[in-house]
Amino acid sequence: MLEKLERPDEVRRWKGRIPVSHRYTPGVAGDVFFTALRDRGVLLGSRCDSCDYTYVPARLFCERCFAELSADAEVGPGGRLVSFTISYTGLEGEPLEQPVAIGLVRPDGADAAIVHRIVETGDEPLEIGQRMEVVVKPDEERTGSIHDIDGFRPTG
Amino acid sequence: MEPRVAVVGIGHAGFAPITAGVSYKELMFEAAQRAYFDAGVDPRTGVDSFVCCSEDFLEGTSIFDEYVPDQLGAVQRPVQTVAGDGLFGFVTALMLIRSGIASVVAVEAHSKVSDVRSLGAIEAFALDPVLNRPLGISTLNVAGLEMNAFLERTGLSEEHCAMVASKNRTNALDNPRAAYPAHLSVEDVDDSTPVSWPLRDLEVARRADGCVVMVLASEERARQLTEAPVWILGAGWASSSPSLESRLWGHAESTTRAAEMAYRLADVGDPAEEIDLAEVDDVYAFRELEHLEALGIATGPELASLLEAGDLDIGGEMSVNASGGSIGQGNLFEANGLVRVLECVEQLRGEAGERQVDEAYVAVAQSARQVPSTSSAVVILANDAGAGG
Repeated sequence: MLEKLERPDEVRRWKGRIPVSHRYTPGVAGDVFFTALRDRGVLLGSRCDSCDYTYVPARLFCERCFAELSADAEVGPGGRLVSFTISYTGLEGEPLEQPVAIGLVRPDGADAAIVHRIVETGDEPLEIGQRMEVVVKPDEERTGSIHDIDGFRPTG
Repeated sequence: MEPRVAVVGIGHAGFAPITAGVSYKELMFEAAQRAYFDAGVDPRTGVDSFVCCSEDFLEGTSIFDEYVPDQLGAVQRPVQTVAGDGLFGFVTALMLIRSGIASVVAVEAHSKVSDVRSLGAIEAFALDPVLNRPLGISTLNVAGLEMNAFLERTGLSEEHCAMVASKNRTNALDNPRAAYPAHLSVEDVDDSTPVSWPLRDLEVARRADGCVVMVLASEERARQLTEAPVWILGAGWASSSPSLESRLWGHAESTTRAAEMAYRLADVGDPAEEIDLAEVDDVYAFRELEHLEALGIATGPELASLLEAGDLDIGGEMSVNASGGSIGQGNLFEANGLVRVLECVEQLRGEAGERQVDEAYVAVAQSARQVPSTSSAVVILANDAGAGG
């Protein structure tokens, strides 16, 4: 290692790719959540009475006390903005043509919060703690994925 | 914690934005040579066990444990890889010695991130594949959400975060290994492009290649090997609520819990009083403040006064990231935790040169794995004087 490279094009490198494809199972609770979202346009959570905590999306177990839960607590569509960020760059740091607002909204009746885009931001600057609403796609466009939600919009 | 375990050897290599022409194995070999020389051990006969830290996707391979033994002197020896931050490997080494399985252990972590062509995609791949990943959000967005929630809760401002970035880049000017030293003003940081507002470009640690290797030894072996052991007084590690949906936003909860464990083991009652210097995660500038709060060094409003008075600078009340942190030295990914221990060891040995902190007896090193993960580890280190002889 006494000889140092002085020209970058002298570096020998081999380009490779990692071919990865996968199938992700949302699980029993995830299935109930996405089915309710698709068929009824609602958010289903799971209530843990002993922890006094409502998860959303629904889940089969409580991470706090390890109890088994059921997916039957309907929450939202109104809620409050827990935090937000304005994204100016894409995944690899490339500048975005239009900045994108991303929000974290705690739906009414839930303790957990959901991450999604903020649509229809309007002229007023966003403020943590303000009222928001979950915007669900029209019935015929929903397929049972997180994209069945268009995003959040401020409601005052 | 009795019997004690000490760091008896340190070595590093790289710490540059690009290490052109050198493979990660050669970086590891160079750092390992230095660490074994510093400790005065032959890895083939004098090291009982080896621990490496790596994440497969960042290495561009799978099952990375098969790629580590040869350049460490660990072929045909007990060796394992930990898929996590270097500080988790460090505490694994500590446990190997405390349990009596080994007397001398080498721990290694590295970054060859200049070889990674799709870093953003790999990081985004850490997000939940069903709920979060389809939205195309990045880890910078997760950091932006966290920063906004943290500032809202504590009343700290964007300018306080800019002060952290300015301090750490400036500290790095006195650190010969730092990859990103700069005279950077608070205004320079404030004027930099927002990447995921309120997070700005100059508040995000730039990537760097590098490797750190350390040799740990039992008290008995440490006394034989070195006159300047750095004792591990306590260690702790914890997770927070992992999912974006149920985590406690705006708090470094895992650091709070890891610190509680480390302080309990080290018998630290008043960290601000008993600790002389801190090396903490600052991959995003605001995280330094979030972790200092979680470490019990100061609350939000107190942090503002400390920053404004220069009390977190080298020579201040509590030197924080005297090394320059990740913002000054570079983001070395899974090696970040060991980089923080490396600085603490140099400081406690009195070998930190221009950036030497006066009266450095007890140090805390804290590390958190990259956002969106919520795992943290904390270790308390002391020289002979700090450990009570």
